[in-house]
Amino acid sequence: MDSFVEQLKRGTEEEFTEESAWDGSVVNTTSSSLPAIYLPLLPRYLRHPTTRGRKATEFQETKKACLNYIQDALLQHQWQRAAEFMTNYLETLENTSAEKRMAAPEVIWRIGTEILCHHSKSSIEEFNYFAERMKNLGVKRYLKVCLEHVFHLLCNGLIDDAYQNLSLAEGWRYGEQTAAQDKELKLIQAYKGLLDYYNWDKKRKAMLELDGNFADSVEQEMHSFFRQAAVNLKEIIKIPGVWDPFVKCYVDLLEFYEDYDEVRQVLSEYAYNSKFPPNPNAHVYYYQFLKRQGESKKTLMSVLKILHEIVPSHELMLEYNAMLQKSKKRKNHRLGLEIIFTLLDFAGWKEHVKAWSCLAKQIKQILENSSKHLDWVTEEWNSRKDWWPAFHFSHYLAKRNWQENESLACEKALVAGILLGKDCKYFKYVSHQGCKAKKEKFRTMKKFVKKHSSTHLRASGVLDSCTPL
Amino acid sequence: MEFPGSLFPAFCSAGPPRDPPGPGPAPLAGWGGYGHVQGPGPSQPQERFIPLHSKKGESWAPAEACAVPFLPPNASCRVPTLTPHDILYVGHIQRKHQVGKTGGAALDFTGQLAHFFLDHPEEAFGAMGRLLQENFYLGEARLRSKARENAISVKTLVQELGRREGRRHCPQARPSPRLRWFSCLSRDWLFEVPLGPLAECIHEELALQWAKLLFDDASTGGALAWLPTEDLAPAPRGCLVHPGGEAMNLLCFQEVALEQVGGALQPRAHGRPAQFELSGRIRQVAAAQVAGEALVGVRSDHHCGAWRLRAGAAPVPLQVIRTDAPASCLTVSPHLPGELSVCTLSGAVYLWNVETGLQRLRQDPETAFFREASPWRWSEFTAHPRVLSCADRTGLQCLDVRAPASRQFDLFKVGGEAECQRGERVMLPMYLGRAHPCQHLVATQFSVYVLDERFPLVPVLRWEHMLEAPPVFAHLTPGRSQETSHKVLLGAHRTQELLLLQYSGGSHSACQLAGPPRRLHPISQGLQHLPPQVTPWQDLLHQRLTAPAAGVTAAPAGQGPLEPLLVFQLSDAGDLFYQTLLHEPPAESESSAAPTSPPSLPAPAAASQPSPAWGASLGSGSEESVRLPGTVSEGTAEAGQAAAPEEARPSVGPTAPSPAAAARYRCWLKALIRDWSRLPEQSQPQAPPTISHQRLFTHGELSQPAGDGLYRQARQLLRRTMRERGCLAPWALGPPPTPPAMPHPVEPGAWPDDLSKRLTASWAGGWGEWWEEKLGVTRAHKLHALRDRRRRLKQARSRRSLSGSFTSSITYQSDLSDFSACSQPPSEPPGQAREEQQPPAPVCRQDLSPPRAGRGDLPPAPGQFWPASPLASSSQRSAQEAWGSQDTQDSSQLLSSQTLSSRGIPKERRKTLRDYLAICTQPCPEPPAELPASQASSLGSQHWGPSSQSQRSTASQPRRKRPRMGF
Repeated sequence: MDSFVEQLKRGTEEEFTEESAWDGSVVNTTSSSLPAIYLPLLPRYLRHPTTRGRKATEFQETKKACLNYIQDALLQHQWQRAAEFMTNYLETLENTSAEKRMAAPEVIWRIGTEILCHHSKSSIEEFNYFAERMKNLGVKRYLKVCLEHVFHLLCNGLIDDAYQNLSLAEGWRYGEQTAAQDKELKLIQAYKGLLDYYNWDKKRKAMLELDGNFADSVEQEMHSFFRQAAVNLKEIIKIPGVWDPFVKCYVDLLEFYEDYDEVRQVLSEYAYNSKFPPNPNAHVYYYQFLKRQGESKKTLMSVLKILHEIVPSHELMLEYNAMLQKSKKRKNHRLGLEIIFTLLDFAGWKEHVKAWSCLAKQIKQILENSSKHLDWVTEEWNSRKDWWPAFHFSHYLAKRNWQENESLACEKALVAGILLGKDCKYFKYVSHQGCKAKKEKFRTMKKFVKKHSSTHLRASGVLDSCTPL
Repeated sequence: MEFPGSLFPAFCSAGPPRDPPGPGPAPLAGWGGYGHVQGPGPSQPQERFIPLHSKKGESWAPAEACAVPFLPPNASCRVPTLTPHDILYVGHIQRKHQVGKTGGAALDFTGQLAHFFLDHPEEAFGAMGRLLQENFYLGEARLRSKARENAISVKTLVQELGRREGRRHCPQARPSPRLRWFSCLSRDWLFEVPLGPLAECIHEELALQWAKLLFDDASTGGALAWLPTEDLAPAPRGCLVHPGGEAMNLLCFQEVALEQVGGALQPRAHGRPAQFELSGRIRQVAAAQVAGEALVGVRSDHHCGAWRLRAGAAPVPLQVIRTDAPASCLTVSPHLPGELSVCTLSGAVYLWNVETGLQRLRQDPETAFFREASPWRWSEFTAHPRVLSCADRTGLQCLDVRAPASRQFDLFKVGGEAECQRGERVMLPMYLGRAHPCQHLVATQFSVYVLDERFPLVPVLRWEHMLEAPPVFAHLTPGRSQETSHKVLLGAHRTQELLLLQYSGGSHSACQLAGPPRRLHPISQGLQHLPPQVTPWQDLLHQRLTAPAAGVTAAPAGQGPLEPLLVFQLSDAGDLFYQTLLHEPPAESESSAAPTSPPSLPAPAAASQPSPAWGASLGSGSEESVRLPGTVSEGTAEAGQAAAPEEARPSVGPTAPSPAAAARYRCWLKALIRDWSRLPEQSQPQAPPTISHQRLFTHGELSQPAGDGLYRQARQLLRRTMRERGCLAPWALGPPPTPPAMPHPVEPGAWPDDLSKRLTASWAGGWGEWWEEKLGVTRAHKLHALRDRRRRLKQARSRRSLSGSFTSSITYQSDLSDFSACSQPPSEPPGQAREEQQPPAPVCRQDLSPPRAGRGDLPPAPGQFWPASPLASSSQRSAQEAWGSQDTQDSSQLLSSQTLSSRGIPKERRKTLRDYLAICTQPCPEPPAELPASQASSLGSQHWGPSSQSQRSTASQPRRKRPRMGF
């Protein structure tokens, strides 16, 4: 078997090059000797089991083996061992195969960075030295390496060094840029803007502390930082993407200078432009800005309404619900009920006391207000009655909730009692336990449930169809 | 359930996947980068920036050197897994046109046909054979005239066939004309099934098998599940659900307790497993625990079943469904008891409630986002119990069970939003609900993505996993608290790879990769630690341990956040293995990793050698075990050498496994061999050919009395091993050989001779200095040099003026140095070689420009690297210092004969040159460092005039330079 594999492994070099031209996205259905999925790392002897062709040179084989050793050491977190192999792997920069020679700098950069990040004896100076060398190992990678170098400096708290590197990289030009390089340059500018913002923030704090004379010069510096930051941040925010940190900083800058129209425009663009991905944070930022501005409830609610459509499980929905409850329109009350029901559909809200107490309060209100809007509850309940009992009101959950969070159990029991009747297991268990503990609120709750569940919901046909657990 | 207040920045462009620079991802693309960073928010106090791919995280490491068997081997499994050897044709195929060049696999369907004809002649030729029986004469004698009317003699034909059978594997064998003639004549009518269609069918089937061998998605999801029991006293317990039996059709529920045995965590099976025999091979076992009870879903090709498991009770089968198209997925709802989702290869997605039955949500043979031939479908539950995610190879969509047609949204798409690459396909989606209710994991053959349902299409985390084979198994161990990370195990099918990833965040903070990933031991790692066995056993062992993986799961040993983690692995042969993962405190991790690393590069072959100490103990164990009847003979002793090395993945072999693990392996091996020898004869693999020792030795040699002790001992041992039909291991001759100790460091003072001194000097980097000193110190040499110097001073003067005339032009000089720069390999950037202590390629560079004082740009001469490369462990800093000190010695070093010869200067002229240079360097000291490079170089060039001239005569110099020399 092994000799067989050996024989197969002598794949042809010529065919490898052809292979690289093979389009991976085209699924080859006619030639069934290939797998249906493009598997680039499939051993070549499996893809080209022919005995023709010449062997790879010993140099290639050694370097391949060396790379495997490095990868193995990295995956087992043996950084010293990887570093030792690395010294031997560097020869691959002289690889005779053009394709491998082109790929070599990136591989070396990646492995070297990883080793230097983890090696116990590496220092930031060494890292800087390595990064500087790597930057010059190919024009195509310059910006990428710069950016990653800056990230490393930032993560180690060397913000000034990072700023210097960003300024250098920002001015870098080489021929025509590829799309990827364009993006990297944009990112470099954006991160520089971010650091400018932090500098600005520092100056602002300093200015607040200083008195008149010095404040002027500080203010001058602050303004110059503002200009630099604003230009760069504004630039990146225009491009479709996720720019939460940048947007936050830009908004903070503008708000300081009271350019509220620009903020409004930027945030609404970030939230509502269809080219941007549906980022919930964009809506949150816009909402928070409007709230800070003291906008009307109506405007705020319209923002939250859109957020509700995108992310019905967002935590701002509780706030939205509270707003709707406060409004005078009956339609909004209805919507509020719907929102709180939807919120509790999600597994993440299952044990949220506030959400449950909201629901309990609202149902209670409806029942107490002469049950005029009982059909709202009925309607919401109808779409959930086949799975809410098992999802929320099982006997197991009653036990667990009672043990872990009594108030949650209490709120849920109230809802369960009203929706499922006083015979439901959840209500029975909790009220029994509550009465045993001799707590007043359970007695009132029991009374309330007994009063309402039997008369109102049964009358409206809610409980007839549901099976008591 | 909060949404992170600020996500990491990312570009996001809708559209098709971006073009990769080459086919597939860049190698090792998962290392190195931080991805993105984000700083503290506007109102927060100054903190550090946090990266997307954090380099710091919990450090977990396997406690053993290999995965250890958990249960006895699956006794009844005897069907070997398919190998390329079985279905591929090896050898030259004459192709007129290179049609199938992209898919170069040549399937050996003719071989399969031949097997069929030989094994089942009645089915292949029955009817025609009976018809022709009267007309074919098989006898030896000649046919009489009367009989010749209706019968022909096929004696010669049969003889030729027999002869041909004997030369079956001879590449030069050509069919005789008679056979060709007969085959042409009979091809159309001889076969029961027409040959063409039969061959086509066989080829089709082989192609199918081949595609499956390359990538098989049937076992996606894995057939292993761990269900912890809630009560933890005295030891954490649980139930391991796994398939077993002859065809992996036996569903086993094994009660397991995780016990501390001698400081190590060990799983211990309690009682007999509850077993259910199913009618098909179990492909996937899915399980979830809802409301205090566990639901186990089992998928085989056309049947899916559900079992309920309550603590302290036997598992109860609930329901079985049958699907027309093979099922490709079965998942159990983590929200509602008794709910499962099923997908079939016909593109249908069902919600299966064990009480109410099946509800079809979708039936669409087309893929969701773009056309893709694979019929594979998958479905998972989401944060909303009424919303299911449906996946095909192109992406994930979520659909509402209450209105499946109208309410749906896209969760993930192979495209620009997720920065996918061309050819990337979804391999395995998984709902990460236990870590965060809104998170999903999507694994492709290149990367893993973590998605948040609340922000669809744009992954919150993306990382290239660098696995060889696409991951088809995944297991999540959620972090217990905010601080601890969630651990994801990714497993591959064919290569048995297993990777541990950690990530954190999702609600308060954005998702982050926590620390570098870690590879866990594949099952086949055990092979390296086992002693060599006799060939059939070795083959069996190899076959069992390298069988593809079939599932992976993990069990935390306790409630604490950093309790050990037990990882169970299942192989396709039905064998169960486990390994323990221990948390390493951060400070210790480096120091504990360092000693295990060998100081020098281990040869790949050495890595596959079994560790002697353990090998011996295992070897003695297997000697006691059941002997194999009649399969092993004397001749095979040498064949049972070391286990076949896994070339693709070099192993590290931290250390040998602990004695407890070794004992477990020994028992397992014993049981494996015992079970195997009990199998009926025909199902055992073919025994290797045996030869009698009488063919190797003459009778006289055998009866000769053995000479001295060692020979006699060896012979006795050989005889005993042959009698026992065992394997003669090399170390059986004596005590296990100790690994060669590190040689003592050489004491230079102890070696006073010239050569040793020179070697010492060159090792330390002072070769040139030593040489100079040697030249200077020897009095005779000195005198000789002096005489020579005087004699040549006159000649030199005239030459110097000459050389001065043609190198005085600065432009020429710069041209020269340009030329020398061009002659360097283009990809080598200036200074790169220095920084990394790289020994340069041994090319003889036509270094025309003379050495300059400020050698900033020029890579050092070959000799310079010697001090650095053998002592590779010395730090970069020291190497740099070494280089720095070397700079001053350059000119003297050039005098060494080796350097000169490398410069193409003939032997007889070296002496002259050396002496001449000695003159030049002595009167005028080396150019001061303050001199600008151009000046220094021009200065140097004056001294070097003759040498460059002499070079020009030997090494063909471009002639176009001449006119610019001023002549």
